[in-house]
Amino acid sequence: MKHVEQLHSSYRDPSGFMFKMEGVYYRQVNNFFKKDFDHFISSGCYDELVKTGLLIPHETINENLTGSADWYQTLKPEQLQFVSYPYEWSFDMLKDAALLTLNILKKALEKGMILKDATPYNIQFHRGRMVFIDTLSFEIYNEEEPWVAYRQFCESFLGPLLLMHYKKTPLQQLMLAWPDGIPLSALQVLLPAKSRFSFHTYLHIHLNAKFNKKPKSPNKQTIRFSRKKLNNLIDSLEILIKKLRLPPHTSTWSAYYEEAAERSNYLTEKKRIIIEWLDKIDSVKTAADLGANNGEFSYLLAEKKITTLAGDFDPYCINDLYNNLKNKNNQNILPLLVDLSNPTPATGFNNEERPSFLSRCKFDLLIALALIHHLAVSKNIPFSKLIELFGLITTKYLIIEFVPKSDEKVQLLLQNRKDIFTNYNSQEFEKYFEKRFKITSKAPIADSGRTLYLMEKK
Amino acid sequence: MMMHWLYIDPGSGSYLVQLIIAGVLGIVFFFRNIKNYIKAFFTRSNRKTDKNSPS
Repeated sequence: MKHVEQLHSSYRDPSGFMFKMEGVYYRQVNNFFKKDFDHFISSGCYDELVKTGLLIPHETINENLTGSADWYQTLKPEQLQFVSYPYEWSFDMLKDAALLTLNILKKALEKGMILKDATPYNIQFHRGRMVFIDTLSFEIYNEEEPWVAYRQFCESFLGPLLLMHYKKTPLQQLMLAWPDGIPLSALQVLLPAKSRFSFHTYLHIHLNAKFNKKPKSPNKQTIRFSRKKLNNLIDSLEILIKKLRLPPHTSTWSAYYEEAAERSNYLTEKKRIIIEWLDKIDSVKTAADLGANNGEFSYLLAEKKITTLAGDFDPYCINDLYNNLKNKNNQNILPLLVDLSNPTPATGFNNEERPSFLSRCKFDLLIALALIHHLAVSKNIPFSKLIELFGLITTKYLIIEFVPKSDEKVQLLLQNRKDIFTNYNSQEFEKYFEKRFKITSKAPIADSGRTLYLMEKK
Repeated sequence: MMMHWLYIDPGSGSYLVQLIIAGVLGIVFFFRNIKNYIKAFFTRSNRKTDKNSPS
């Protein structure tokens, strides 16, 4: 029998689970969920959601691949290029994910179905937009019952968005601290007092929190909900979320390219060299552009049909990149918040539910442009450690730019600190990188003093 | 101290509050719809007048 690996992300749900077999991801539907799943298909809910591009499509495989006694159906969903988590998304990515959830809920209600959970983990960035991936989240709607996932929606979508909106700063790290959503009681104290004067925020957070503190359970049989009431609730959440904004901000690197473009033909030359090298290494299918900024070089890779993860630690850059990608309908780039000096850890039960950033990385090519000095100088990470990190991310090639100490940007980093970096020079850089990589090409970039390297993993 | 309500179904607290919130929203949206209807009525009649007015 073929090896079946059950994914740790879905074992909490008795309706079914995800598993991997021979490198392909499948979803099993259990007998337990048969009635709801059949209704999901026969009501046309699945077709409608796939047709409108809101849900990931799947193929039905009539074979019990896991050998489980509770098997009902095996689905082979369209495979994702890279799995990302809400704490790695920018503000507008989370906002779009929240609106997508509400949109799906409305469409499901029209077909007599409701979402039994509302978490950002049910959504992935796939081929240029946010899509819903959990086919087993839909259950038959009982009009007399309220929405079971309402509080979960408030804690995991609305809460983080409201905090970022009111505090005018990116706070993705909070979602890492509370992966199941920021508790209403915490939101109530973290949000500023003026948020109480926003009608919809008061209802969904402050009033909601007040009631959740009281341990009384109403008699569900005497109090009935209705479709009209639920629609009002959804409309109110939608009105509120559409208004939320993360105000634009001049971040550390937001004007980087405008500034870089002024430096003679630095950018043009850098692009020319990289294009030339990309033609040489044409077996590349996937790449990570780390320190991507506004994705200038990720676009270059995407044009060559390379699926590219554009990572940066600056949430404003990633947000701009996401909005640009949405407008251009570019399907080959995934914008992601990544801090290489502290990559996303594994989270959840047994630290297995959501794998770490590095364990998800497996790229044919890594490009690290104007990045090395931030890690080596700002963060004091020695070359010996950096080659380990880069070796984990790429499986074949590395294109890296070395920025010498004499460079004005490095001087800026050293301005207010003691220069303890006696080993920060191109000889030492090459010496260490040759331990893990083979330097196949090397090219100075115009008269910038910076050098580009094409390396191959040993 | 909070142990006693750790045993309550996490969804149950939101049942009652959802009813109250949905109730409040029902009233607010009811008046909003009336306002929108009146607004639409007057904009419509204005547009009609515009059409009839000599160009």
